Amino acid sequence: MSGLLGGIVFGLVGGVAIALSTMVGVYGERKIAAKIQRRFGPQETGPYGLLQLPADTLKMILKEDITPRQADARIFKIAPYFVFVPIAMGLVVIPVAAGWAALDSSIGILFFLAVPSLSVLGILIAGWSSGNTYATIGGMRGAAQMISYELPRTLSVLAVVILAGSLRPVDVVQAWRWWWIPLNFIGIVVYYISSIAELNRGPFDIPESESELVAGYFADYAGIRWGIFMMSEYGGMLAASLFGAAIFLGTLTWLPGPFGIITFLLGTGVIGSSMIWVKWTFPRMRPDQLMTTAWKVLTPLALVQLVIVGVVVPWL
Amino acid sequence: MNIVVVATALFSVGLYGVLTRRDLIAVLASVEVMLGGASVLLVGLARTIDMPATQLPGGVESVGVLIVVLAAAEAAVALAVVIAAARALSTSRVDEMTEVGG
Amino acid sequence: MNDTIVQIMWWVLAAGALAGAVTVVFSRDVLRMALGLGGFLVALAGFYMYYALPFLATVQVFVYVGGVLVLILFGIMLVHRSEGDARPGLSSRHDPGSAAVAVGILALVTSMLWPLRDVMTERPASAGTKAIADLLLGDLLPHFEAAGALLLIALVAVIVIAGGDDR
Repeated sequence: MSGLLGGIVFGLVGGVAIALSTMVGVYGERKIAAKIQRRFGPQETGPYGLLQLPADTLKMILKEDITPRQADARIFKIAPYFVFVPIAMGLVVIPVAAGWAALDSSIGILFFLAVPSLSVLGILIAGWSSGNTYATIGGMRGAAQMISYELPRTLSVLAVVILAGSLRPVDVVQAWRWWWIPLNFIGIVVYYISSIAELNRGPFDIPESESELVAGYFADYAGIRWGIFMMSEYGGMLAASLFGAAIFLGTLTWLPGPFGIITFLLGTGVIGSSMIWVKWTFPRMRPDQLMTTAWKVLTPLALVQLVIVGVVVPWL
Repeated sequence: MNIVVVATALFSVGLYGVLTRRDLIAVLASVEVMLGGASVLLVGLARTIDMPATQLPGGVESVGVLIVVLAAAEAAVALAVVIAAARALSTSRVDEMTEVGG
Repeated sequence: MNDTIVQIMWWVLAAGALAGAVTVVFSRDVLRMALGLGGFLVALAGFYMYYALPFLATVQVFVYVGGVLVLILFGIMLVHRSEGDARPGLSSRHDPGSAAVAVGILALVTSMLWPLRDVMTERPASAGTKAIADLLLGDLLPHFEAAGALLLIALVAVIVIAGGDDR
């Protein structure tokens, strides 16, 4: 009984966490972008513009729900959930305290790598069912980009799995040592760049580029349906930052006992803010540069990292 | 016994699809259904029958992973052939692809 | 109560898999067919989880749903682009001969395996990932290497077939 009830409670908590992280993320993004561009961000609604995001959410919910005439209506409407649900499910296996995770699975790391990759389907379906060519092209580009960057991301996480000797996130957190950071440095960089590319963020946002494809695969989505796409992007950022902070940087064990969660959340915030920083600093990459980076730069680097770890492991 | 019936039913549905579908990609999807049905049959039988051969720890999962790898490779090559053929013959329907060569 | 819920889940999975397979075979809309295939593959992953094979279930989701299904969707988008409207219809030539073959195979296999129904037990325990690794890198090493070689050959074949004539 506690299984089902616990599952529902965690589902609600996770949903609220993603919604909150989206609000914080979008607010942070607008403020950080403003700082970088030497202007002020939202500052009218509420003190320091803190009520801007709740106001925007209210506006989105009240917008008219438009479905384009040439769109496949039923699939058009469920496509955002195909993107959101896998990314939200990925949050379930992340350890939040040293020795505890919502779903303590023995293959948790593989689960985290595999399940969010299903959102590629949502992007393809969203683009295709919108009924216009630009959305379809945006969807195909987005899908090609996401599946290309899955490879270096998986390989870089594999290096940490080899060091820890287990696919269970709780085991990896408990086996973490400080010298894993210099040893895995290439892997950390590869994971960071691949995560940004996976989320179609930052310099890799060709599929949703405002200046070229008019928001690409979600161009025809109005109001709260667009909001769900945004929630999956920021939820994915949250998941990638949490995972990186827990597995690669080991922030859960920097402070002993239950205080580890403080450094964990701080580390997550640092990684998330740096992702926002990167987006507003670097120019957008061309699609062919994007693919070249994934296949010719990041994958060989991840393999080099695997070789380094493989050579060092017998000496441990 | 239920798993045998269900898995074989899935295989039969896929077989019917391969025999009747007119579009090449639909045929490919039906082949994937057949593969999935056969794989579930194998795994289900291995997990419910007590034989020395199925007692090997991790054996069922290893063979299952190899089957998945095989299916993925086959799907990739089949799709490449389908796309090349559909481009060359300007159609994707099986009954219009009647020429060989050229 | 736990056992009843598990039994219900099995039937839900079976129904889902059958619904997905029927959608693949009978649907007129190409996107519905792809989604039906996706549902079928996820139901298969559910079956693997039911039989306590979490590693196989995750690999199934990763490779099949995240890979093969995406490939098929790409294939659909690339092949049907030349047609006029956005969602062309798929058709089938239904004939009773094929139906007879399909039902016949079902009857044949079921009747062949019928004597086994007394030997079948329910849901034995699972092994860990370490056992899989020991097996794949130990006794099944030739199979593992062959699978790797097969993937490499498939990769080269796909590049050659889909790459065009300018090579």
